[in-house]
Amino acid sequence: MIRYIFRRLAAGVVLLLVVTMVVFAIFFLVPRLAGIDSDGLAARYIGKSPSPEAIAAVKERLNLDEPITVQYWEFVSGLVMGQEYDSGADVIHCDAPCFGYSFKTNTEVWPQLMDRLPVTGSLAIGAAVIWVVAGVSIGVLSALRRGSVLDRAAMMTALAGVSLPIFFTGLVSLALFSYYWPIFPPGGSFTHFTDNPLAWAHGLVLPWITLAFLYAAMYARLTRAGMLDTMGEDFIRTARAKGLAERRVVTKHGLRAALTPIITIFGLDFGLMLGGAVLTESTFSLPGLGKFAVDAIRGNDLPVVLGVTMITAVFVVICNLIVDVLYAWVDPRVRVGA
Amino acid sequence: MSSTANTPARAKRTEGEAAMTDPVVSVSDLRITFPTLEGRITAVNGISFEVPKGGAVGIVGESGSGKSATSLALMGLHRGTNADVTGDITVTGKSLGAASDTVVRDMRGNDIAMVFQDPMSSLHPQYTIGNQLVEALKVHRPGVSSADARKRAIESLDRVGIPNAAKRINSYPHEFSGGMRQRALIAMGLMCDPTVLLADEITTALDVTVQAQILDLLDDLRSDLGMSLILVSHDLAVVAGSVDEVLVMQNGDIVERGDVRRVLAEPEHPYTKSLLAAVPRVDMSRAQRRAQVRAEREQPASEGLGEQAKKAHEARRRVGSADGGAAPQRTGAAAKPEKSGESADAPLLTVRNARMSFKVRGGLLGRASDFYAVDDVSFDLYQGETLGIVGESGSGKSTLSRMVTRLLTPTSGQIHFEGRDITRLAERKLRPLRRDIQMIFQNPYSSLNPRVTIGDSIGAGLRVQGENNTKEIQRKVQELLERVGLEASHYNRFPHAFSGGQRQRIAIARALILRPKLVICDEPVSALDVSTQDQVLRLLDELQDDFDLTYIFVAHDLAVVRQVSDRVAVMRKGEVVELNDSDAVYESPQHDYTRELLAAAPVLDPVEAKKHRARRAELRHRSAAA
Repeated sequence: MIRYIFRRLAAGVVLLLVVTMVVFAIFFLVPRLAGIDSDGLAARYIGKSPSPEAIAAVKERLNLDEPITVQYWEFVSGLVMGQEYDSGADVIHCDAPCFGYSFKTNTEVWPQLMDRLPVTGSLAIGAAVIWVVAGVSIGVLSALRRGSVLDRAAMMTALAGVSLPIFFTGLVSLALFSYYWPIFPPGGSFTHFTDNPLAWAHGLVLPWITLAFLYAAMYARLTRAGMLDTMGEDFIRTARAKGLAERRVVTKHGLRAALTPIITIFGLDFGLMLGGAVLTESTFSLPGLGKFAVDAIRGNDLPVVLGVTMITAVFVVICNLIVDVLYAWVDPRVRVGA
Repeated sequence: MSSTANTPARAKRTEGEAAMTDPVVSVSDLRITFPTLEGRITAVNGISFEVPKGGAVGIVGESGSGKSATSLALMGLHRGTNADVTGDITVTGKSLGAASDTVVRDMRGNDIAMVFQDPMSSLHPQYTIGNQLVEALKVHRPGVSSADARKRAIESLDRVGIPNAAKRINSYPHEFSGGMRQRALIAMGLMCDPTVLLADEITTALDVTVQAQILDLLDDLRSDLGMSLILVSHDLAVVAGSVDEVLVMQNGDIVERGDVRRVLAEPEHPYTKSLLAAVPRVDMSRAQRRAQVRAEREQPASEGLGEQAKKAHEARRRVGSADGGAAPQRTGAAAKPEKSGESADAPLLTVRNARMSFKVRGGLLGRASDFYAVDDVSFDLYQGETLGIVGESGSGKSTLSRMVTRLLTPTSGQIHFEGRDITRLAERKLRPLRRDIQMIFQNPYSSLNPRVTIGDSIGAGLRVQGENNTKEIQRKVQELLERVGLEASHYNRFPHAFSGGQRQRIAIARALILRPKLVICDEPVSALDVSTQDQVLRLLDELQDDFDLTYIFVAHDLAVVRQVSDRVAVMRKGEVVELNDSDAVYESPQHDYTRELLAAAPVLDPVEAKKHRARRAELRHRSAAA
């Protein structure tokens, strides 16, 4: 088991390295291919009508004229050890995970990412709890009462959940519960959990439910299909033949087997969401990573986009790592092939 | 809760011992129907039987006979499904029909325990064997401590012959072999000392030696624990040595019942007779069987049919057979060039020192080591003969056949086909060869694409080899469909419309459409009922005559292999331990392993079966002493 974890960990590190290469290629090479030279890139930092001297200084500082390999090395070592920007006159130090400076605000990207992470994290964790609990239990009930009114109603609702976009359900819920009946705040604000847990939850209820609705719908359908398969397995018949009560047959024998594939999907979904729930954050004007990324894209702020991309990739890789380990723990057969 | 509920049951049991006449299971007028799209289907049609205390009853029938529906009914496992069960079932004095779910649950595993078929899927893959055994005990004896339950599970595993039970109890099902899982399932059934053990096809998926061990084990358990046994199987030879009374089921009815010796020696019902006739016999040689098949083929041509039909029959026999008319007589000896006038030329296929190794990960740091699935195998195969390859799972017989077809490239050694070295031929150059060497696989359900009509499935080979004329393809396919015993109108049907035996005929047609020289049959009949098995084997025999085919016949069933093979190779752990004329292998086996296999083969005569059992016990005893 330890060997298995170790191997997965090593694979995760390699994967992250590959991610840095891809991200670097996209953000440093693609503008070149699009015909923007190092002057053009440097000009982005300076704003309107840059002087040649200013451009030269920026190029010097960011090593924009160095060969690609050197730039990549600077980029990666910056992520790990921080970076010194030496423009001759003064030296600017950028701390350990250095994602560079925003084109727009000329401030370091990393602290801004860290500012927004708690918002996205709060949103993701709360929504995940709701959608897993709701989705799985509805899925199980639907599977056990297949063809019943409950099953049909649940699956219809699930279909609606999957097909209605978040900005629609989000806006409707805002209109109803924030304007018509002003129970919840209209969004745009975020209270830290450590400051006031109650206000934190109160402000997030609508986004949580909106986001969870979509995912709960998908998870309900997945769980239902999985349970229907599992309950037809021979080992379920064995469990019944032992004289187990139906509840135990379902929970201990059925659910355990049906949940394993769901864990995999959950790892991916959750990891991705930690990189920013773009639609939900935009709809509810939450200052999270997703909204940060959208604003950055709109403003052509490459370093910020790069930062969000990197952090999303890291979360997905980490969540996958956790899922792999969990999976091996849940399903002993996985360990053999490891 | 259940421990108090058990006390009366226990009391009843002792009463029952006093009055030995009380049956532990009695079924009267049991009728089971299922609703389907085509109306209600009757699976069991008003059957009645009793199982005496300590007695053993065999229920025998083919798939669809209602035997499994009956055994599920004994466990009350039709509850909650859409099956309609009427009639009365009484198990250890309790009537199932009127009982509440709780009473039925208390009974399951406690009074009557069921051991299921297919050990690969009947254990939960995510819990340890120990966990599943302990659960079976604790559900009925909640008062038992975990430590005691565990001890009992170890005892139970030990009882069914799992070596090192105290350690293996922590294993997961995938870490057990098929035979061990079946034992674990039996151990699970024994956890609560049930009065009746109900075993449904429990040896079907197992190798002969393991099958013999499991049957011996059941016999021991019955005599040691005074348990009653209900043994359900499609194979008369499996129940022959293990039960006192046998019930033969067909289409939901019991068509014959009685003492096992009487039923097997003097069957009365035609169905029982046909079942018995279909069981392949280890003591029947290839020559005898072929003579019988040929004689039966001649009969309809000369007697029953008119002049025209006779001509058609003759024409059919000439299809593909260059020398026409009389089929060449082949015996094992005749296949060897020096003794044969007919095929004195070079062998069709030569295999020399073939080895196939796979990398296996294991040990510390996951170092890979070589595992030889096939180790240094050599043989010659001559035009028109059948080489049987017999061995248990893991013996390398399937790997060997895949090497011959070059689905696998041997690690070392040579394979010559018609004098040409094909060992490392590139895929492109192999293509003409694929026409000459075809395969028939074991599972007729999964080896046909469910979304492709059988006509297209069979015709695909022609297309691959360059035939473009769709009409011509259809004509050829339909001709062949008729030849393998199906109808031309089946051309546009999908595989799900066919039974197992019919699918295997389709698979045979698919292999023959290209008129191959060599056909490799990998367990072609092991998934089929005995009577279907017999029909398919006959067909293969006839086709060999008509198309002048050469077969490699891979199987684990010794009797089947004997009946189709001129020569037999016995494989174990990747090596051929014995290769000789079929009769020589079966009548005077040279290798210990061959003898062991032959001792394990089930026999139809109950007295003989008991003798075999004694011989196996002696063999085991001797190897334990050594």
